[in-house]
Order: sequence, then structure tokens, then C-alpha cells
Amino acid sequence: MTVPTNFPVPVLDKLPLNMGIYLSDDLLNYVHAERLENAGSWQISLGDAQPAMFNNLLSGMFQGVETILDPSAPSAGVNGVLVPSIQEVQFSIPSQTRSDYYEVWIRYQFQLYDGEGQLLADWPLTAYGKADEDNYGLSTDQPALQAAALAACRDAMAFFTVQFRDVPSVKAWLDRQLGGTS
Amino acid sequence: MMGFHRIIALAALAAVATVLGGCVTATVQEVRESRTGMDASDAVVVLGRRSRPKSAETELDFVTCISRNLSKGAAGIKVIEEQQFMDSLFPWFEPRTAPVKTADLPELIALPPLARRLEEMNLRYLVWVEGSTERTDSAGSLTCSVTATGAGCFGFLTWENDSSYEAFVWDVRNGRVAGKLSSDAVGTSYVPAIVVPVPFIARVRSSACSSLANQLKSFLANEA
Repeated sequence: MTVPTNFPVPVLDKLPLNMGIYLSDDLLNYVHAERLENAGSWQISLGDAQPAMFNNLLSGMFQGVETILDPSAPSAGVNGVLVPSIQEVQFSIPSQTRSDYYEVWIRYQFQLYDGEGQLLADWPLTAYGKADEDNYGLSTDQPALQAAALAACRDAMAFFTVQFRDVPSVKAWLDRQLGGTS
Repeated sequence: MMGFHRIIALAALAAVATVLGGCVTATVQEVRESRTGMDASDAVVVLGRRSRPKSAETELDFVTCISRNLSKGAAGIKVIEEQQFMDSLFPWFEPRTAPVKTADLPELIALPPLARRLEEMNLRYLVWVEGSTERTDSAGSLTCSVTATGAGCFGFLTWENDSSYEAFVWDVRNGRVAGKLSSDAVGTSYVPAIVVPVPFIARVRSSACSSLANQLKSFLANEA
């Protein structure tokens, strides 16, 4: 099952910064595969959704967004580089929880590098999504699990937008970049 | 020839049964806290509470049903589709970020980009829907068998569904609660089977939806 790539762009006051984004091959190819007792094999492909997810997220938060090939050597004019990674994915299906819900948890780790390639911040973010199987009918392509995974990705985006400015080392970096106006 | 007539008769019986349906009792209540009213350009959005505990989450099709019924007919209201609204105002109405009480609303809608987006939408009222439909009782049994001479079912099944929903109306312009409406519907469905099962299905959720939507429509128009 592949997560769809139709993510919204956050409605925010954009920070007047040019932000770089580095998506590693591990992230772009991330697949969670698991065999459940009495419930067969399951697979959630999250990698394909990551470029759309982070491009939309950052384009709503920052004035400029640039894809970076090496976070330790960003191109000139970039104020910082965000490096997301997925540390862990868990999911549950209705027969495990005796409910009607598919649930997905994604544990992200974010790193922020400054314009010179120095690591400034490193923080975790756990996202959660659920979907009621009754809303999706019977289908062989697991639409409820797909909806739960999409909800978890949206939750990651939502929580990132509200949490970002409050991460202490990010806040200090923003104060320096914006002259104490963040 | 007799067999053909029998098939026609059974098909007609099944068609009649689906039209008849089981019986449903629905009640709607309303508590008004402030005056309402809508201009022709004003819009409403109906949202299901996704931050509720899993068992209490409102079905997506119930929210869609309320929206569709509100916009139907001569007195139809302009309704923004739930997903379109959530995408347009992302991330402020996601399960983890959505305002829980009206006191959270003024601060949220004061955010300049959000205020601009809401003005573009002409959003006047936000309707939060909570509740669900549960099967509360069931009894009976039904067995079907296939033999060399034909197939058939015998038995009797019955079950009761209970729909209980609440709609909280928030006035977006003044950031206050306009009122609360609730809809309860109970219905019993039957499936008697002598050779062919004939379902009499009580459309409980659909009844709760139409009664709540009709009441909401008159509430928003401030009709007594």
C-alpha cells in the first residue's frame, strides 16, 4: 500500500527565510513491512509521499524552499537546512484492537543545519493517524490503512508547524536569523 | 412456466420489502444561545470531531449526508465540503490542532492568513458533529441451504440500531456558540425468510441525518 501524495500547503505567515530540505535515500525509499500473526503480511510505502509532504510543508512555512544534496555543504543563500528521517513506524489493524480502526504511528527525527552546514537542532516528532474501516468499504487495496497512514503524515505536518518555533535551539536560531522577531 | 411466475412473484416481494423498510422513531432537540441568520453569500461547514476517542468518532458519510441535505432544496444553504475546508485551512482544523471550545476561536481566526482565507470563503457558521450509530440489540437466526432441487433460506433475524448525534453551531464572525442541536433515532430491522429472505431495513442513520439537517437549516435561518 502506497501513501497518496495529495498534501495541503499550510496557511501560515511565512518566515522570511530561504530553507533547504535534504531528503535522504533512506527516507525516499522508506517501506514498513510486517507480518502479523493470523493476519498475513502488510506493507506501508511511505517514501514516495515524502517529497510532496515536505515541499508543501516548507513552502507554506518559509518564503523560499530549496532542495539540498548535502546538508553539511548547503548552497549559498540558504539560511538553514531541514533533514527529516523516519525512525520507526507501527500500525494496528481492527482485529488486533477489537475496534473498527486502522491506526498508524510514525516517529520522525528532525535535524536542522545552519547555512554553514553546522548541526543546530535535533528533535523527535511522533505522528498518529487513524481511519474507521466502515468509512472505506471492502477493497483489496487496504483503503482504510492508506487513509490512516495519510492521516499520520498530515498529523506530522500539522504538529511540525505548531512545534517548530518552540523547539529551544530552533527558536534561538530563528531569533538570530530574524533579529529577535520570531 | 410456473417457476418463472414464482421468480417474478419473489422478486416483486423483495422489491416491496426494500421500499417498506423497518420502522424508525426520530427525535430532534434544539438549544439556542444566540440569534442566527444567513445572507445568500454566507457559507457553512459541517465537521466531524476527529479528536474524539475512537468509538465516538462520527462516520464520514453522516457528515457528508448532513452537508448534502443542508444544501438541498429551495432553501438550500451554501455548504463547504469538509475535506476542502480542512485542506484550505490546513493545519488548523486537523485532529490535533482543531479548536476544542469557542474560546479558542477568536485567537485562531485572528491569524492574518487564516482570516483572509475565511473571508474568501464567506464562512459564517461552523457546525461540529459528534455521535455515531450503534447496533444495540439483535436476535434470531437464519439458515440457507442449497440442494439438488433448489436453494432456500428459513428463519427470522431482527436487530435494533440507535443513532445519537449532536451538532454544535459556532458563529465564526463573533466567535460564540450559537446553539446546540441533537438528533436521536431508534429503529428495528427484520429479515423473515421462508425460502427467500425479505429484508425490512430500518434506515436509522439516514433518518437521524435528515431530521438533524432539516432542524439545522431552520436553526441557521433563525426560523422559530
